[in-house]
Amino acid sequence: MTSNTARGRYFSTFQLILLALFAVLIVVAKIALRLPLQLTGHSGIFWMAIVIVAVGVVPKTGTASLVGLTSGILAAFLGLGDLGALNTFLSYTMVGVGTDLVLFLLGRKPENLVIAMVAATFGHFSKFLVKWAMSALTGAPVGFVALSLVRAIIGYIVFGALGGLLGALTLRALRKAGFFSYLAEKK
Amino acid sequence: MSQRTRILVAVGALVVLAGVVLGIEALRASSSEPTLEPGSIPIYLDGKLVGGFIPDDLTTLEQVSFVDAEEGKTQEGWLLRDMLLLHVKESRLKPDTRILVTSTSRGKSVEITWAEVDDPANWVMFDFAGRGTLKLVSVLERLDVRDEWVQDVNKIEIEND
Repeated sequence: MTSNTARGRYFSTFQLILLALFAVLIVVAKIALRLPLQLTGHSGIFWMAIVIVAVGVVPKTGTASLVGLTSGILAAFLGLGDLGALNTFLSYTMVGVGTDLVLFLLGRKPENLVIAMVAATFGHFSKFLVKWAMSALTGAPVGFVALSLVRAIIGYIVFGALGGLLGALTLRALRKAGFFSYLAEKK
Repeated sequence: MSQRTRILVAVGALVVLAGVVLGIEALRASSSEPTLEPGSIPIYLDGKLVGGFIPDDLTTLEQVSFVDAEEGKTQEGWLLRDMLLLHVKESRLKPDTRILVTSTSRGKSVEITWAEVDDPANWVMFDFAGRGTLKLVSVLERLDVRDEWVQDVNKIEIEND
């Protein structure tokens, strides 16, 4: 009975711990790494890098969604975001779902620079879509709509792509450093 | 489907999504009326509210002045033309477009054409009245003496037809 539950699990306990750590890292990065840039969506540069690294470390469909979901719950309870807990939870979750969807369609190769960039851009843009849709539905004022929607869209796309690039380069560096061999031993 | 095609499809989907967002926002912007702060003077274009301003907003515009013929006093203020162009695209204004400036409290109004407003030699402008409200003054024949000025302006209507 014990072995049955262990074999039936999609993610191992070790992988779940790793993904939870990545989720925490996203939330901590969001709080701590505030760049002095007056550009909408600039946090995507580290945000999406972490998601792409998570997908590379735990190469399974649903990894990014789980990281997004976990970081969304954490961020909502920590009161992050200026449009309420639901908006925060949904936008964080959709980052993961969007990234997973594209990686599922393109093949799970997050170390490929182009695939990582496209997936991260899509994931980050999903966050923008949630914020925009919530604003449209509830009438709540969103900063990027007041500034310029085109500028916001470009910001989300560019910083999402840069985050994806950074994530893919990090994965390559980790592979060169032998991290994945080390990880295989730990499993 | 090749990897390259899939990437192009994903990029295409992203562009389509961005286009949909911009399209919906453009539709929303064209169908919704602006919210005016209390005390604003509304501007209507062909019956639709397009914007408004409070007297203090005019101070951001270039100040102009002329000496009125009746009393020889200097009238100092801001051109109606400059203010209108903050809220209405110039392409929406034709030389024969009628602009009705009204003061409900005084029961006064004046109708001028865009050609008259647009001509800087006519000095169609707002000046602050003694109690902080706006009065419309000009050197135009029907607006060049105190009795013809429109004091306490509270509505501007632009009509194209």
